[in-house]
This record gives sequence, structure tokens and C-alpha cells, in this order.
Amino acid sequence: MTSRPTSALVRRFAAPLAALVPPVAAVWWAFPENLPLWRSIAIVAAWAGSGLLVSSIVLMMRETHVARLLGGLESMYRWHHRSGMLAYLLLLCHPLALALDDWLEAPQLAWMLLAPWTQSWPLWLGWAALLLLMFGLTTTFAARLPYRRWRFFHLALGLGVLLGLAHVYALLGGANILLFLIVTTALALGWRLIASDVGAAAHPYHVVRVAHQPGEMIEVLLAPYASALAVSPGQFVLAAFGDGPHYRGCGEYHPFTVSGIEADGVLRLGIKALGPCSQRIQNLEAGVLVHLQGPFGIFLDGTPSRPQLWVAGGIGITPFMAALRAHRRVQPTTLIYLFRSAADAAFLDELSALVRTDPQFELLAEASGRGLPDFPGLLARISQITERDVNICGPMPMVDALMPQLRQLGVAADAIHFERFDFR
Amino acid sequence: MRKLFIFSTVTFWLVVAGFWLANFFLPLEPPSAVSTIAETADRNFTLSDVALHGREDDCWMAIEVQVYDITAYLPDHPSEPELVLPWCGKEATQAWQTKGKGRPHSPRADQLLAKYRIGKLDEAR
Repeated sequence: MTSRPTSALVRRFAAPLAALVPPVAAVWWAFPENLPLWRSIAIVAAWAGSGLLVSSIVLMMRETHVARLLGGLESMYRWHHRSGMLAYLLLLCHPLALALDDWLEAPQLAWMLLAPWTQSWPLWLGWAALLLLMFGLTTTFAARLPYRRWRFFHLALGLGVLLGLAHVYALLGGANILLFLIVTTALALGWRLIASDVGAAAHPYHVVRVAHQPGEMIEVLLAPYASALAVSPGQFVLAAFGDGPHYRGCGEYHPFTVSGIEADGVLRLGIKALGPCSQRIQNLEAGVLVHLQGPFGIFLDGTPSRPQLWVAGGIGITPFMAALRAHRRVQPTTLIYLFRSAADAAFLDELSALVRTDPQFELLAEASGRGLPDFPGLLARISQITERDVNICGPMPMVDALMPQLRQLGVAADAIHFERFDFR
Repeated sequence: MRKLFIFSTVTFWLVVAGFWLANFFLPLEPPSAVSTIAETADRNFTLSDVALHGREDDCWMAIEVQVYDITAYLPDHPSEPELVLPWCGKEATQAWQTKGKGRPHSPRADQLLAKYRIGKLDEAR
């Protein structure tokens, strides 16, 4: 509502630039001179990998100001994944390159370097760090793991990063660059665990009303107990629902898109039953204490300067509801709203009413069944499509199917906006 | 990214296994170290001799009654030069046994050191 829109440059480059700073600084400081080739490669791989691990930790901070500075949580998470993976590859190369360097001296030295029982604790720390990263990433890529267990195992990666830095400290002592990496990691990890995961930075709200919508979905009205979050339409919050007289909350933070922003800091959240926790939330009642963090996200950021095409799939209608409820359209806006069947379509009556009162707003509501909708037919009904900004919110298969169709019709890539709400 | 993780992890363990197997199939002692020891076994040096080689470009050390010329190894040493250079030209057994925070050097380092041995320390003189 009050914050400045995030520019396209910041959205695109802030997170990767932030990811580059620690590894470049570390390699710059430690760049080897006059050393054999494989030993040099090992040193560069170690410092670049350690720096990227630190980047990865910084990029998983869930703090509103940091997220806005770094181009939004979605971009941060994309680069959190990329820097973490690249760090892992480099750190796998580190012991192997050292062993190769020794191999050139004498083949037996290579195995002596790798075998943990010929080493002392600084090198055991290195091995423990690498094995923890290996274990943590194995669980990260285990798609079928329930979210709660997945999140617990993900802690192994944080511990792996700390042990890795301890390994460098034990070998080399407290060089300035290493202290910079350690302090940055401790602050970012501490913030993430204490402020975000434990919720020390959360704002207390309470449930005022629960309205059931079609298609296993509720809309919850939340009022702040103290200071309210400054939320803009299109943004999401992390919410942890507590207990009520007849309700037991799962107590863990999940992302929910805001579907309405009202006076006195009152927020509406649209919550569909998609997992065990959101299924339980369907039985929510008034009076339950809720902790909110955020807001996050840069979807629908700023005032539109061009006509708009919005595409919503299922629960993806929520950010558009928040925008439509906030004010009348300043640009001609067409909303394509896709749902499985009319019985699943939340907010349909309210949207139809908005069409009648706002001449700039047009609605194309379509029940598409279980498969993908007829995008070519739908898009053919949109006038001057290349003149429009396109905002998409819905399941990823829908976004992936829509993108090539839009590009084929001549919509520029930078005119298409969407966010992937994937916190794994 | 998942495929990249699986491929890189499997490759890593295959290479580690390769180093382990090579350890079984190759001779135990590095030949260069053996020959260096054999050729120089009979040379004796005093601490005064060692003290004449106390520079970065000419660095001898006496460690555990042996004398080593580690000039060629100095650039390869993992720690910062300021930690090692003060021991050039000196009796450095204590430094060898208690590198940073009281830890001894590793068996691998023992093997490396053997390559730079040039003789025995004559403690009588």
C-alpha cells in the first residue's frame, strides 16, 4: 500500500548479485598464487563453495525489507536453490582436487588425504559438513516427503554450513573474510530460526469470522491485536493458526495470499484445503489466535500503466480479489477465471457484481474440468492482447501451458508476471 | 537440479572409491621419499648449520632429530606464511607436534615431510 513498486531490474538482478558477493569476496581474498594447479582448484572451489553456502543462507531469510531489497521472496528462493546447489558441486570438487594434487606427488597420499581415520578433527568437521549437505539435499529432493518432516531434515543443511565454516576456521584461524562469512551466516540463520520459524517477529491477530466458499475453501477475516501489517493487494503472509475452544491449530507457518484488505488493518485470507494443515484450517472458528509474518511478494506491484489481462486458476483468484476489492480499475482489465466446475468457483457472485459496477472490469469465467482449458479459444477473445500486461496466478501446469500461447500471440516476455509460491 | 544432484553425488563416491582402490593396488611407500631418505641418511647437521638457512627462499628445519629442507614446499603449505616462516632455521619439533591449537600434523603430512629430509640432527655438538 505504501511501499514503492519493485523495479524489473531489482526483481531480476538483486538476488543473483547478492548471491555473488560472498563467493567473489572469498575467492578474491584467498586466490592462490604459485601453487600447483589442482591445489589451486581445490582452494578456489572451497572458498567459492563456502561463499555460496553463505549466500544461500542469506537468501532464505523471510524478512519483509530484505525481500523487497532483493527483488521479492520468489527470486530469493530461486537463487537460494541455485547457489546452494552450485556450492554443493564446488565443495564435492574440493577434497577430490586436493586428493588429485597429492596423487601427482604419490598415489598413496591421495587416499591418506581422504581417509578420515588418518586425519584429525578439523578434517572430520569438513567431512561431517559434506555428509550433512549430502543428507540434507537428498531429503530436499525427496518430493514425496511430508512438508513438516521435509522442513526438519532441511535443518541438516544449516548445520552442514556451520560445520563447514568451523572446518575452515579450525584449519586457517580467524581471517577477516572468514569472520565475515561466519557472522553473516549466524545472523541470517539466527533471524530465520528465531524471528521466522519460531515466530518472534510475528504480529498477533485473531480470527473475527470464517466464511465458507465453494470448493473446500474458506475466507478468514483477521483483525490485529496490536500493530497491523502494511499489505498491498497481490501479497501473501505467513500465518500460524493457534487453538480455539473447539479447534486445534497445527501451529506452523504456511503462506496464504491476502484476498482482501480492509480498514483498521483487517485482512482476509483465502485458504483452500491443499495439505494436512490447510485441511485442518477448514474447521477454523472465530476467536483463534493467529500469528502473521510479512507481507511478502511483488505480484500486482504498483499502479498499472497499461491495460491488464489477469488469469486466475482456482485458489489463484485470491490476489485478484484483493486488488478488485481495494479500488476500482484504473486501466481496462480482463480477468480470465478458470475453475473445475461452477461448484468449485469461489467469489463468483462477488465478481459478477463487480462487473456490473466497474465499467473497466471484464470477467471471463470458465469451468475447465480436470484438464487444461482451451487457451487459444480464450485468448482469442481478448482484445489488443499485445498492449496488455499479463498477470497469472494459478497452478504451475496452468502457467507452463499458458506461457507459450501468450508468447505465440506476441506478448513480450517482460509483460508477463507470475509468482511461484513454492517454499521447498 | 535433482538429476544434477544424483549424478554429482554418485560421481563423487565413485572417484573416492577409485582413490581407495588405488591405495590397495599401488606400492605403499612413495619411491621418491624412500630414495631421498636412503641417499641422505648419513649426513649430520648441527643446529648452527640449520640456523644458516632461516629464510623464505632457503628454509631448513630440525624436527624430531631430523633435518629438512622445506624451501620447495613452503608455497604449498596450507596456512598463512607468517605461521611457518618464523620456524625456518630453527628446531621446530614443538611447532610440528602442536600446529594451531595444539594439534599434531597428520600422518599424510608425515609422509610429505619425509620427502624433504636432508639428514640427521647431531645433538651431541
